[in-house]
Amino acid sequence: MTAGAISGKDGKIFPFDYKTFTLENGLKVFVIPTPAQGLVSYYSVVRTGSRDEFEKGYSGFAHFFEHMMFRGTKKYPGAVYDGLTIEMGANANAYTTDDYTCYHLSITKDNLEKVIELESDRFQNLSYEEDPFKTESGAVYGEYRKGKTDPYFVTYEKLYESAFDLHTYRHTTIGYEKDIAAMPTMYKYSINFFKRYYRPENVVIVVTGDVKLETVKPLIESYYKDWKKGYVTPKIETEPEQATPRIANVDYPGKSQPILAIGYKSLAYNPTDRIYVAAGLVADLLFGETSDLYQKLVLREQKVQSLGTEFNENRDPNLNIILTMVKELGDIDYVKNTILDEITSYQTKLVDKDKLAKLKKRMKYGYLMNLDTPDKVAGGLAREIALTADIEGVNTYFVTLAKVTPEDIRTALKEYFTPKRSTIVTMKGAN
Amino acid sequence: MKRGKSITVMILILSFLLVSINAESEMKPKNNTKTDNKVLLPVKNDPTISFSVWFKVGSQNDPKGKEGLANLTTMLLSEGATKFNTYEQILEKLYPLAASYSGTVDKEMTVFRGRTHKDNLKEFYTLYIQAILNPAFSETDFTRLKSDVLNYIENELRYSSDEELGKEALNRFVFEGTAYEHLTEGTIESVKSITIEDVKAFYARHFTAGNLVIGIGGGYSKDLPTKLEKDLSILGGTDNETLPPSAIKPQPRPIRGMEVNIIDKKCDATAISFGFPIDVLRGDKDFFALYLFNSWFGEHRNQSSHLYQVIREKRGLNYGDYSYIEAFLHGGGLNVPEPNTPRKQQLFEVWIRPVQHQYKHFALRAAVRELKKVVQNGLTQEQLDLTKKYLYNYSLFYAQTTSKRLGYQLDSKFYGVEDGGNYIELFRQKIKALTLAEVNAAIKKHLQFSNLKIAIVTSEASKLASSLSADAPSPVKYDIPMTDDVLKEDKEIEAFQLRIDPNKIKIFKIEDMFLK
Repeated sequence: MTAGAISGKDGKIFPFDYKTFTLENGLKVFVIPTPAQGLVSYYSVVRTGSRDEFEKGYSGFAHFFEHMMFRGTKKYPGAVYDGLTIEMGANANAYTTDDYTCYHLSITKDNLEKVIELESDRFQNLSYEEDPFKTESGAVYGEYRKGKTDPYFVTYEKLYESAFDLHTYRHTTIGYEKDIAAMPTMYKYSINFFKRYYRPENVVIVVTGDVKLETVKPLIESYYKDWKKGYVTPKIETEPEQATPRIANVDYPGKSQPILAIGYKSLAYNPTDRIYVAAGLVADLLFGETSDLYQKLVLREQKVQSLGTEFNENRDPNLNIILTMVKELGDIDYVKNTILDEITSYQTKLVDKDKLAKLKKRMKYGYLMNLDTPDKVAGGLAREIALTADIEGVNTYFVTLAKVTPEDIRTALKEYFTPKRSTIVTMKGAN
Repeated sequence: MKRGKSITVMILILSFLLVSINAESEMKPKNNTKTDNKVLLPVKNDPTISFSVWFKVGSQNDPKGKEGLANLTTMLLSEGATKFNTYEQILEKLYPLAASYSGTVDKEMTVFRGRTHKDNLKEFYTLYIQAILNPAFSETDFTRLKSDVLNYIENELRYSSDEELGKEALNRFVFEGTAYEHLTEGTIESVKSITIEDVKAFYARHFTAGNLVIGIGGGYSKDLPTKLEKDLSILGGTDNETLPPSAIKPQPRPIRGMEVNIIDKKCDATAISFGFPIDVLRGDKDFFALYLFNSWFGEHRNQSSHLYQVIREKRGLNYGDYSYIEAFLHGGGLNVPEPNTPRKQQLFEVWIRPVQHQYKHFALRAAVRELKKVVQNGLTQEQLDLTKKYLYNYSLFYAQTTSKRLGYQLDSKFYGVEDGGNYIELFRQKIKALTLAEVNAAIKKHLQFSNLKIAIVTSEASKLASSLSADAPSPVKYDIPMTDDVLKEDKEIEAFQLRIDPNKIKIFKIEDMFLK
């Protein structure tokens, strides 16, 4: 990128030249050379997550399946796969979210061909017996037990279950405990799950770092060309418009200060829509570190231990969440009303123009400063790719961002941060 | 202890003399000390600039009864007002730059870090330098930050992170009676006793121009290092102490047999840490050999770890099992170590992540047994070759960014490692050159399995104390099918003798931890 410029190529924010190509079977690939000192990151983004678990009794399956992807193939059994990635000193892992599952390895460039071979092999030829399948389900249950001790997890589980009636966002990514307990019996289903979702037209590959299109393209073509199409679209129900505010309480068995979570139904990801982008900015403008509310509740009155937000970008409408850990039980109502009043007040008044300009600048620099390793470049694109199967949305988002006005923020607050779209959950510990 | 101290003093005086003689005779016109106090890492195409100002002070310099003072002073610099701006104003000004600065304190090193896009250098630099040079030490900030620290010790550390608690308990146990013993954050009583006057005096004494090293990395212009150095020179003076405690290596009491501290608290799982001091530091002859052994035995958060294979992968007893030969802080949230926690005395340390209570005795036995096996038998050629290949590449991930590399170069300066400006590359070459004989000799020389300090966070502590004392078999039952090999090996593990002297088991209540 040119020194001194805020944006990258041709006025676009994304500072790297990249190439993309699609195989005949629908597998899409992005090749993004970045400064990397001999390192390469290889990301396989499966556009399936806990959102796709539409069948009753199978919540948490996408995440469980992610574990099974490390059990190997006939050619490279799990232990052999592990041995090879250890030998190459790879920094490798995987994770599952609501909208996608991601498998990633960072390696030295001399190991790239081997990695392409290994990844193409397990994505096409995964094979495991029923016994290791059962063993792995035990590990997943362990992971659930570990998560359950976190008061925020308990809060989230309740919040999503209260906010959604039909859509699969109703359950968290790890799934319901009763479904996890039944996982050892789901061997056959798991094979079906692989056939339905692990298909070339549902996967996008991103290669970043010390790479060239000329080297990567023929390798990917040769290793993935025989992968057959066959993606089956999941039957996800549309969530009906919420009609009234929802309130719920949940108890946490451990010691914790109370947590208050306020969620508003959000919009599906749409980087071309000014009001969508404006709604996302509410997080920072009203509740961020330099907001009036943060300075009041955290710095001056010191009524809360923390104040944060989670405004999500999703394929379908999800939640924009304001989260706060309150110091005293008796202050919960005060804190809640202070937050709700702040939202109401900005439904009529306008946010400061200068503050909005500063936020835009912050977002640009924040984005650019976070691209300093190949892994961060690819990792930062994973959600964008999962939602749109493309990376241009990043550029579009920043173009739209530049146009957002204080009036747009007010419109977003008036339309989407209304009581009837809200769900409020209070979590209390057993102190 | 006293003897050790006077010897260190003598060595120091000698080395100062040597340096000054050299400077006199060979390079009169050059200002040698200035070059010595800079670490520069230019990266041509980097659109950002990273700063690190290292003050040679740490929690070991905390006065008795005022433990946590170095930490609180640093917090007031990095999270408080300056004479020009309130803290709210600072946040407001940093906000559009998406830049930030922060301070970290360890036993021996305090680093004040910052990073900005070079477009915003001017605005950022002003705020950064003012934070170091012109802290306001405001009462409001002081009250807020003190309450943050107390909340961390009283609630977070004691109640919501048993893993960190276990590791801190081990550190306290091993370094009892030395300047390394207390938490960097201090104790509840000591933090309460700290006044704003204490902070001002500590700052004036230790945050001086003669006590710092400058680090700059990334796409900076040629004149920036000189400007930073000049600006910092107004801090004046040298450290007032003729011999800062940072020059002295702590002398932990020798461990005799197996010594156990159990922290008793209500919890769902047991966290275990154990270890002992080792005489190997980064750059020492045996360091790389021992590092390779440790990577094989317990590379942090990695499936290549042997302990992980035995305890998690084969038996599913917990989420992970690792070991260390250098301090690795906040391991729960990090995949690779953060630089800038260098120490003159390191531990060999094993970290067993929480296991269900029913498995605690067994898991401890399994880990000590593995240590015994490798100390007695060493690594095989195959294990060595695989780990060499692994580390040669994996080490590249230790420092991928400019600011991390800068951190490593500051550490090299601390340890006196001659790495030609690229520690990771030196590391890779040293690993590549290791032989089996060197690694196994280093294991034999520096490691053992019969004199350990063990810290355990668990409920029903007295019951555990009884079973550890009895040393009777501790068989386990699994919820999932196990292979015959595993079950056969289990018989050996469950009967493995730890030989703990009942008089060397102490139980502490959680409420008493980190109190004073």
